[in-house]
Amino acid sequence: MEFHDDYPSYETMANHSEEDGKKARKVLWKVFWVMLFITIFELIVGSMAPGRGWSGTMGLKVLFIGLTVVKAGAIVLWFMHLGHEVKFLKYVILIPYMVFILYTVFIVLVEGVYSGKPGNFTRVDKIFIDQQKELSSGHHGAAAAHGAEAEHGAEHH
Amino acid sequence: MAHTTEIDAKAAWDGGQSPFRVSYGKMMMWFFLVSDALTFGGLLISYGFIRHKYADVWPKAENVFTHFPFVEQHLPLAYVGLMTFILIMSSVTMVLAVEAGHRMDRKGVTMWMFWTIVGGALFVGSQAWEWYHFIVGTHDGALRNVWDMATGSYVQQTYHGATMVVNEYGVPQFANYFFFITGFHGFHVFSGVIINLVIFLNVLKGTYEKRGHYEMVEKVGLYWHFVDLVWVFVFTFFYLL
Repeated sequence: MEFHDDYPSYETMANHSEEDGKKARKVLWKVFWVMLFITIFELIVGSMAPGRGWSGTMGLKVLFIGLTVVKAGAIVLWFMHLGHEVKFLKYVILIPYMVFILYTVFIVLVEGVYSGKPGNFTRVDKIFIDQQKELSSGHHGAAAAHGAEAEHGAEHH
Repeated sequence: MAHTTEIDAKAAWDGGQSPFRVSYGKMMMWFFLVSDALTFGGLLISYGFIRHKYADVWPKAENVFTHFPFVEQHLPLAYVGLMTFILIMSSVTMVLAVEAGHRMDRKGVTMWMFWTIVGGALFVGSQAWEWYHFIVGTHDGALRNVWDMATGSYVQQTYHGATMVVNEYGVPQFANYFFFITGFHGFHVFSGVIINLVIFLNVLKGTYEKRGHYEMVEKVGLYWHFVDLVWVFVFTFFYLL
């Protein structure tokens, strides 16, 4: 689907003819079906794939994020018809956003990988994670409560 | 008329016309959405950071959101799938309202705006239902360290549901981010429904018919699609990954 070629304009006050409307509706419904198909596909894969979650396979993560970006692009370019706006407006909106978001993603990925390594956990992180692990394993051991109390005691003194 | 007229890049900035070929209001709506998108981006990225850090003890969404109204069985992700469908559908009715507005088709705008509002209200209601089940929790609950005011210490006990401090599903941060991000998004949807309602009433009154264009419908349309756009990301990062 080419922009600017055969699609009704969204310039200020541009009124469309019946024929323009028909053309636009056809494209919009097509976009809707693509988005619906992607969402159903995501749900089926999401509820069936084994070993999901953040610990799931890299390929699955990339697939989900890729499909999300496709859906986001469809919304911005067709539903918000940014694809049919003047080139300058498109760049003024997309370039600053992309610069900031990509930079943030980059910096958080670097920091996240660093602080996610067990060797880089703080003392509090370690206590917290051990506690959570013990709780979720369903152990009734006194260690967790003990640990919490010891921590609380340290706070007081 | 129907096609974008090529503008001379030099003359475009000489004044007397919009170089972007949009009205001031629409451009400002876009700029607002960029800043709002950065806010949501920041929230989701920080969510990713915390989740990555506590990957070992982070609960899985399909074990948390397993309920469906009036159905006893466990149906992981089914309800959020329905919510996503409702929001995408209301996005389509919104874009059809905008399209009808460009043809000065008052009846079409009225109908599609109405269905958009219905979809938005359904989504907010579903969100409330989801929150309710998240807060009330499961029948079994889980063992948690709960702060006891009377003795001033943590007591291990069976805990049901979720608050900002403790939840039965896993680490407290999970509930924090769930409440904050879906709450922030839900409030956007709620405001969107109210704004849509105001515009809908204006359409009924014939305000835009008199004005000669339905640009206001297009502006709220941009906001409404943005809300859908954010949900696409929340859906992926909260429920799928």
